[in-house]
Amino acid sequence: MSRLAIALDIGTSGIRGQAIDLSSGEILSTAITTRHPLPGANVMDHLHFALELGVETANNILIQAINRVIGALRVKKADVQRLGVCGNPIQLSLFQGIEVRDLAYAGARKLKLLGIVPPSRKAAIIPAKAILGLNLPKDCDVVIPPAVRHEVGADAMAMMIQTGVLEREETAMATDFGTNAEVALFHDGAIFTGSTAAGPALEGQQITCGMLAVPGAVSDLEPAEDYHRLVVLDREMFPVPGSVVDLREKRSMGEADGTRPIGITGTGVIALISQAMEAGLIALPRINTPDGRLHLGRDIFLTEGDLREAGKAIGAVRAGHITLCCEAGITPADIRIAYMSGASGTYVDAIKAQKLGMIPPCLERVYQVGNTSLAMAGDLACKPKTLNMMADLGDRLKKSHCMFAASKIFQKIFILELSHWNEGMPMTQYRRFMNKYGLPNLPQVSGRPEVIRTVKRDINDLGKMGLTIITDIGRKIGLQVEGCDSCKQCVRECPEKAISMKADTDPITLILDESLCNGVACRRCERVCPEKVFQLDRFFRHASAGHDARPGTSPCRYSE
Amino acid sequence: MKFITETSGIFTRYDINVEVGRKEPRKISEDELLQKVADCLISGDEEEMETTIRQALRDREPMEVINKGLLRGMREVSRLWDEGVYFLPQVILSSDAMIAGIALCEKKMGKTMEKKGRVITHTAEGDIHDIGQVIVNALLSAAGFEVINLGADVPVDVLVEACKVHKPLMVTGTALMTTTMTAFPKIAMRLKRLGLEIPFVCGGGAVNEEYVTSFDLGIWGKEASQAVGMAEDALNGLGWMEMRAKWNG
Amino acid sequence: MKLTNSMAYESAEEMIFGTAKKPVRTKRGVEIGAGLVLPEIITHPRPDSERTIKSLLREFERANGDALERCVLVGHPAIIVENEHVFQMTHNSEWGMEIAAQTGRQIEEYHEKYGLEAAYRSTVADIRKPDMMDMRNSDRTLEVLESFDACAKFADIVSIESMGGKEIFDYCIIRNDISGLLFAQAVLGGRDMEWLWTRIVDITHKNGCLPGGDTDCARANTAMFMAGGFLSKNISHSLAALCRAISVSRTLVAFECGAVGPGKNCAYENPAIKAITGVPISTEGKTSACAHMGLCGNVMAAVCDLWSNEAVEYHNMFGGSTSAVFTEILGYDVAAMNTAIALGYEKEFQSCLVNSDRYRDQQSFILCPDIAWAIGKAVVENNQSLYSRARAAAIKCGELMMGEPRLRFTSFEKESLFDYMKELASLPEDEGDFIDMCLKKYEKVKGFRPASYGL
Repeated sequence: MSRLAIALDIGTSGIRGQAIDLSSGEILSTAITTRHPLPGANVMDHLHFALELGVETANNILIQAINRVIGALRVKKADVQRLGVCGNPIQLSLFQGIEVRDLAYAGARKLKLLGIVPPSRKAAIIPAKAILGLNLPKDCDVVIPPAVRHEVGADAMAMMIQTGVLEREETAMATDFGTNAEVALFHDGAIFTGSTAAGPALEGQQITCGMLAVPGAVSDLEPAEDYHRLVVLDREMFPVPGSVVDLREKRSMGEADGTRPIGITGTGVIALISQAMEAGLIALPRINTPDGRLHLGRDIFLTEGDLREAGKAIGAVRAGHITLCCEAGITPADIRIAYMSGASGTYVDAIKAQKLGMIPPCLERVYQVGNTSLAMAGDLACKPKTLNMMADLGDRLKKSHCMFAASKIFQKIFILELSHWNEGMPMTQYRRFMNKYGLPNLPQVSGRPEVIRTVKRDINDLGKMGLTIITDIGRKIGLQVEGCDSCKQCVRECPEKAISMKADTDPITLILDESLCNGVACRRCERVCPEKVFQLDRFFRHASAGHDARPGTSPCRYSE
Repeated sequence: MKFITETSGIFTRYDINVEVGRKEPRKISEDELLQKVADCLISGDEEEMETTIRQALRDREPMEVINKGLLRGMREVSRLWDEGVYFLPQVILSSDAMIAGIALCEKKMGKTMEKKGRVITHTAEGDIHDIGQVIVNALLSAAGFEVINLGADVPVDVLVEACKVHKPLMVTGTALMTTTMTAFPKIAMRLKRLGLEIPFVCGGGAVNEEYVTSFDLGIWGKEASQAVGMAEDALNGLGWMEMRAKWNG
Repeated sequence: MKLTNSMAYESAEEMIFGTAKKPVRTKRGVEIGAGLVLPEIITHPRPDSERTIKSLLREFERANGDALERCVLVGHPAIIVENEHVFQMTHNSEWGMEIAAQTGRQIEEYHEKYGLEAAYRSTVADIRKPDMMDMRNSDRTLEVLESFDACAKFADIVSIESMGGKEIFDYCIIRNDISGLLFAQAVLGGRDMEWLWTRIVDITHKNGCLPGGDTDCARANTAMFMAGGFLSKNISHSLAALCRAISVSRTLVAFECGAVGPGKNCAYENPAIKAITGVPISTEGKTSACAHMGLCGNVMAAVCDLWSNEAVEYHNMFGGSTSAVFTEILGYDVAAMNTAIALGYEKEFQSCLVNSDRYRDQQSFILCPDIAWAIGKAVVENNQSLYSRARAAAIKCGELMMGEPRLRFTSFEKESLFDYMKELASLPEDEGDFIDMCLKKYEKVKGFRPASYGL
């Protein structure tokens, strides 16, 4: 039997694995989850969960989920010789079950106060047995890439390595769009990095009708004469044309064809803002429609509040870009190449994104590169020497990493962005201030860059055994709640529909789907409970305390 | 046909008059130097401000320069901001210029001037994302409040201690990371236990209204620009519950 | 239908109140546009009075009688009494007819008893709803035509405020879509009027009644109301002014079909109509404050032949009923104008009226005789189509507004006018191309039926 390797990408929105034949390098099978197993809407929520419930608990849940992914690859585990992992520093630390508190707090004072010694997070190869509960042969090598800073890790390095940008001698800006947007500027042999807290708007969250990319989500918008045609994700997650809408009014034009839209993704928000600006329907910070909303059919709309949220996110990215330009001593006009990654960065219409300022203004080419983490994990699993290269790159990056939160330049530009998006300060005035502050000139968008999509879909090669999708990665935790009078307010309040009720027990049983739950930063279920008997943490603790939470064996796990 | 040029006795274009009057800084003093002080403030010119203040202080009382030059100029800046003529960066520049101007006047007086009231601002322990706080500081200073700026990554103990010493009208907290906002309920509880029922305005990317109103003293600050209105309320004796009822929900 | 290609007036200087190039004489012998200005009073019945023909007859008997009586009491030499139909008066043609007959009798009584010169105008309600029915082929269409036939028997003058294009206009005005307004007013409104007015003129000829004229009330006045005063920001005053210029192309159609005037009072575009056609016109200004606020209070009297009050609901005031009170006001306004004429001061008086409002607002500016004349000139010089002359009128109107330094704009007004001008300039030259573009663009607007307009 052949020797095997497994590549594993631990992403904030889900886990993806591939089995690879080590002798031929051929991909055999792929398995993905549609959610991350930990409660939470973003990586900070996952981290927060680990802080509140303990790293061990978080690690345990993650490892059990990973075991399911490995199982779904349908290869002989005994043949697995190497596991390559990739992901951001938080996910990798949770995977290893090591200290994460240093990632949770950016302030040095707090870290010192708590006596936290940040782990080195250097590149390492460890045996599988060092990771408790990992269902792989004991001596199987686990290849763990390094992290630069808490916000810049292997996933960001994957983007630099997998796109080949490091080898080209170009001045280029790479951006990984997410709740935190990681940005990297390549210039004259140097790499400048930073990470801006864009907020979750670019992933469709904190937007009234926003949602992650799921079937039925509006992902783009194209002009259709006087109106606009929706682009909606179909059941297979392919973007297909949807109905024609009048942004000014709550109605669809004619019969809706295609998939009925149920919400709007981050890329949809960007397309909508860009199109509405072109149609003269936005005069920042206002929306110029009779009811101050932009409508995408009968049920979906964007409010002025949403516009502000999205604007802050876009502004944070642009402020990050300009700050790095200052660090490198160049101006935004000097950048001719842009790379966009992350789900939003890959699927967004790059031209629309450029109009809003999410990528530099004077580009020749834009590469939309997809998620490069899985490919990176594959390289690590097949060619462990890649790890040395990553370690070198990590050292290089450390030298010129910019902490935006501590940068006066970033602060000044971000305030200009806030004024632009929230107060409607015109860009002419924005530019005057840049001039006054002695910052580089931000030219207007000129020309139309060539847009190169390097991926057709997220994972190019699924392998000869094909793809398995795990849709129920979350633990479903049932708990009999003393004092619950079955008012169902928690069930209704939950924004993710993570709670259900089984009324035929006494006391009543409430069931929480952990992967759907938004985590410990939300707690709306707790706050709404009139009897004050709903305690979210009890669900998490109940499932972890001594129970084996593996699928099918736990008494606490309910199947549909 | 003859056409007239002067129509003032015939009709008045109130809309245009208002628009023109709105967009230009109004004259605030007959005293040339005090007007110049105000002009420097309105244009946010800190360097010119220092020269002008020195000139003005030669034959004027420092308090006169503050009250009739700086504060009136700042009112004009606030008005222009309210009217949508000025934007945040201009307000911040003016605020900086005012602080510099007041410092010079205070130096001449040999003591600090009496401010409206004291507000302590901080960014949560573990968090260094303090842009929101920087804006709040500028706006509160501009509105005449004394700002005790504890900066970023402020331990709970330090903040509570500062409240004990300074007895502020209001405390503000900013947090961008959900992991750091947990300091806020701790602070609120400690202040309450000490009998310091100070309105505690929490804002920033991480926190939402539900979270902040789940603990006593907490008032959710949606936008940095609300800070001044809230501080005015606290100055007028509104308690945290009244303020929460007014600004939240 | 041949589109007008010349101006009745060589220049605006020739135009004056009280005199029209083509005066008319009503069946009761009242001369309009023949040297004197006459008041035209319009009263509306109170709500509920329309429940029965009996109560409605009673209401109009009082309202119209009060007007006639007040003329005698204060000594006004002549008056036109106008009634704008409420729905029932057109829907049941005999209602409108009986009221016309009754008013005719009242007028004749006053003439016999006191020698008061008076005439009656009956304005049929356009009860066709463009978004609900075929404008040319519906029960309501027949009712409208029947009503004309019935009323023309007794009225001196008939008019209508026709509704063609209203569905597209309403859709476009809230969207700030000037191309759509051009389409609604000129292309659709004009086509509807051509169809309708050919029939109206035939009917009036049989009855010896004057086919007065139409108005763009349902569209251009909607824009004027929405633009409001100096503090409202719903739609820009520049847009309302451009709508007015566009409306000239449309309202002109009635006269091209054989209408002879007097033009309908609420057609603020009438100064341009008079400049082109030479027919007598009715206008309204400060005296219509009872119905709506206005920015053209005095200037609208500059070239009028009848001076009117829009419409006032019948009620009692300290000084008598509204009908009597407004008759008295209108009559005195007219007396002043006629005095100026008698003294040879009419141009000076006109200059006062014009200068009072010339630079007040965009809308009052473009209705000054010289500007209205220039807009009219643009209309006749671009007579390839209803569309081309309306577009030319709008562009001319915009240029004149932008070119007058004494006319002041808020920044909102300035920017919006600039945008409209850009859009107007970008439109196709040819009406066919424009119609193709618009049919596609508005095909999904609720209730829009191109067939209503022969498209």
